[in-house]
Amino acid sequence: MRVFPEIGNSQLRPAASWICSGAVVRFFVYGIPVLLVALLVASFLTVASFSTDRKNELTIASIGEPTKLNPIQSAESGASEVEQFLFEGLLQYDQNLQISPQLAKSFSLSQTTTIYFQGPTAALTALSFVRAAKEAWADLSLLEARAEGTKLYLKFGLPGMTASEKIYELFNPASTLPLTTLRAETGGEARALLKEFQEANIDLPIVRAWFDYDAAFEITIPGEAKQALEDLKAFLAKKGKEKATVVVTETRKFLAEPVVQFILRDDVRWHDGAPFSSKDVAFTYRSLVNEAVASPRKSDFDLIQSLETPGPHEVLVTYRKPFSPALTSWMIPLLPAHILEDKPVTWWNDNFNRRPIGLGPFKFSSWKTNETLRLVANDDYYQGKPWLEAVVFRYLPDPIAVRLSFMTRQTDFWGVDPWAVKSYIDDPRFQVFRYPSNSYTYVGWNLRNPLFQDLRVRTAFAHAVNVPEMIKYILYGNGVQSTGIFLPHFWFANPDIKPIPYSPETAKRLLDEAGWKPGPDGIRVKDGKRLEFTLLSNQANEVRKDIATLVQDNLGDIGVEVKVEIYEWAVFISRFVNKLEFEALVLGWNTGVDFDAYQVWHSSQTNPEQLNFVGYKNPKADKLIEQLRQEFDPEKIKAMAGELQRIIYEDQPYLFLFVPDATSVIWKNSFRICRPDGKGGFVDTPVEITKAGWTYYLQWFYRPEYADRLPANREVRP
Amino acid sequence: MIAFIIRRLLISVILLVFISVISFGIITLTPGSPYPWGELNPKISESVKANFRKQFHLDEPIWNQYWFNMRGLFTGELRSIKDGRPVLERIGERLPATIALNVVAITISLSFGLLIGVYSARKSGQWQDTALSTVSFGLLAIPEFWISYLLIIGLAGWLAIPIMGTVSHGIVFPNEAAAWMDWLWHLFLPATLLALGGIAGQSRYVRASMLDTLREDYIRTAQAKGLPADTVFYRHALRNSLRPVITGIGGLLPALIGGSVIIETIFAYPGIGRLGYQAVMERDYPTLVALNFIVATLVLLGNLIADLLYAVVDPRVRLE
Repeated sequence: MRVFPEIGNSQLRPAASWICSGAVVRFFVYGIPVLLVALLVASFLTVASFSTDRKNELTIASIGEPTKLNPIQSAESGASEVEQFLFEGLLQYDQNLQISPQLAKSFSLSQTTTIYFQGPTAALTALSFVRAAKEAWADLSLLEARAEGTKLYLKFGLPGMTASEKIYELFNPASTLPLTTLRAETGGEARALLKEFQEANIDLPIVRAWFDYDAAFEITIPGEAKQALEDLKAFLAKKGKEKATVVVTETRKFLAEPVVQFILRDDVRWHDGAPFSSKDVAFTYRSLVNEAVASPRKSDFDLIQSLETPGPHEVLVTYRKPFSPALTSWMIPLLPAHILEDKPVTWWNDNFNRRPIGLGPFKFSSWKTNETLRLVANDDYYQGKPWLEAVVFRYLPDPIAVRLSFMTRQTDFWGVDPWAVKSYIDDPRFQVFRYPSNSYTYVGWNLRNPLFQDLRVRTAFAHAVNVPEMIKYILYGNGVQSTGIFLPHFWFANPDIKPIPYSPETAKRLLDEAGWKPGPDGIRVKDGKRLEFTLLSNQANEVRKDIATLVQDNLGDIGVEVKVEIYEWAVFISRFVNKLEFEALVLGWNTGVDFDAYQVWHSSQTNPEQLNFVGYKNPKADKLIEQLRQEFDPEKIKAMAGELQRIIYEDQPYLFLFVPDATSVIWKNSFRICRPDGKGGFVDTPVEITKAGWTYYLQWFYRPEYADRLPANREVRP
Repeated sequence: MIAFIIRRLLISVILLVFISVISFGIITLTPGSPYPWGELNPKISESVKANFRKQFHLDEPIWNQYWFNMRGLFTGELRSIKDGRPVLERIGERLPATIALNVVAITISLSFGLLIGVYSARKSGQWQDTALSTVSFGLLAIPEFWISYLLIIGLAGWLAIPIMGTVSHGIVFPNEAAAWMDWLWHLFLPATLLALGGIAGQSRYVRASMLDTLREDYIRTAQAKGLPADTVFYRHALRNSLRPVITGIGGLLPALIGGSVIIETIFAYPGIGRLGYQAVMERDYPTLVALNFIVATLVLLGNLIADLLYAVVDPRVRLE
């Protein structure tokens, strides 16, 4: 090693002087950059040289990463996208969006109606009335009638109010006792407080009690409740609950309590091998109503009075009143009681929700946050092992990344936006799927505003807006015109409603009739007021922005001045929608396959922060909405839902625009489906899309290059 | 020196309190809510909303919420509203990826900054210097996300080369070495883009400092006594010009963790930057509080370290 005598720093040790030598410094200045460039080039060449041999897996790119894989704690679509392969519910939608059993082998409905009388004699008389006329009521599906004390029990084969009401009309109303339900908002300790209240008022005949978390209770008592109301108020005040409120929520002629009986499959095991049983159903229900779990799906289960498990494969659910939409809530995926019971929710968060144990066709394998979530085939699945070895979700931050990931063949499946799908339809490398989405887009008119109270004006606007053109240019043809609150592909939708046609002439005529005459600048005027309003929408939604522009343009043609204002979503909701301070807005609803229109269309839901924010009120519609919720007969549901849809469409509280298609694309021939044909064999078909979406058959997807593991005797359809 | 450090630490603590109060205010007063369900959801009843607010203390006055968040942060019990896990654990699991990315980025920016700065100084006034200066100013002026998207369109769009995330997906790697190179590729690309601004800035520092030093008397003396030009340049001039680079290292400390929000989001890189971006979008207050606090602490600490290094490197500086 050369020391540098010419500098004369003899104090330096040889090592230090070497480090300070020009050679080392030069290496740092020039060598490291060269090394870095070399590594970059080498890694680039390696990655560029990779072959396209695919693993026997399906990779899905998604923007919505779940935060927890727990179906009762999560509400995001990203979570259910994964959970559908891990968990299952008692019921499911089949490929035609009809309710069908999944973990339940079968289910049946019935109803117990309890009528309270003034005395035991009145009850016995009533029973003899019923018995005498029983023949006449065969069509009411009355199965059983018996009297017990002052009560008359009636058992029906189908839940609902109509049959019970017909029988109730037989009796002298003076001999019966109506029932009153009180709700006490205690803000905590509801269970303990009710217990204490009961002990202090032993005479009070509480026939039903129900708790809304531990924050409120509802009690039902026969007869007048004035005294009980006062007693309860005084009691709560004495207990230091000054903020507590007590109200009468309902007065009923009788108790009508539907019962759903589920018979469960007995061949299902959780991914850890434990058998699935009615305990799991009961546990899932208990968790849903547990405040610590804070489930966003609890409201669906609020009408349940009790859930019993008479056997390991039988579940009886009793409802507080007939509420037909409640049946779909049993599609909720179930949780394993043997793992989660007796564990605090923080344990769920730290363990189960990151490494769930389910019972679906795929098992959880690994989850790297913001990267990938990997599910592997469940060998033990009761319908048979899936053909794919794994399903991988890849989480990306934005649609551009998702697209690039698909184009570089990093993912197999892409939910492409409708506006981008055209180029993929024309490209022979891809296969494109389209199916109607469960959503519709609309312009809502604030019916509190005098301008929009005139039906002629609303109908004129509907005639003036060119919806077919909107579908053509905004959705590139991927959608259909909406004909009201139910979507055309739902089984209860009304197929006879014709969309209001585009006709600016009709629109002009209607506005003329309504008194809006063209003014000097082309804008219509009535009583000195110009026909103008502001149309609001939210940012980050290009489709809605385009709609607002087209509506502005179309209405401009018939002499209406529309100002468009776009706000950030949170501001849009909190400042305008929730406060009901808007004139018109562009929005959309994602709807389940649900005929319950209460929250969005009932006249009781028009207050601030409620969802009937346009302020729609129609007594006829109200009545149908209420009846629909109590009807269990599919034929009658279809008739009533169709009628409701027609009434609301004719009232035009919204300008109903369109139902967009969901569009997705895969690389051509990358997958096929080999599924059971229901007769013991298998059919082998190209990937097909059902009404229930593209993942419906996913457990039967296979890659053609791994076709050797399929059964040989399958029927192949090209 | 010790007195100086203690004084600075005390000031930092007071500053941190102010920073945390202000940032908490900004975080929670932003419109929007951390609810796990969408706005306008007909399936959510009032009692579910009230219970959710109660579970996460969102129904309490804002100062109580502040206190609850800060206490939770120090006891380690602060949990994310989104997935219910401790925020420190959520941040911790992203740390390795982010540190790897930023260490590589800092290495690239320091080494290339040094190279370009030294080279420019050497060729001062010649066309190479002018060219490199133009490029440097260009890199400083152009937003990194724009260059990133150009690169992404070129590599992924035209050449179909995977660049998102930390590894390639769905393909069978021929061997272990290929898997490593794949990982390296996914690390190098975002790191390079992250470093671009740093390279430009660093090279300007080095060049300016180098030119200053070359005008010093002792350099002239060294040249006069007949030392080879390289020895004068690399041994005498370069060592003394590195002072701004070394003191600047303290300032890189916060960048190690918080400096890569945009690049991590563009390249789908699973680091702390993306976590922070998501937390903002989801209004996950506890995660934001923790991230803000950690980055603020690192900034203050980095400034202190920079001052200390300055005193260590330059004997003329005394800290009182």
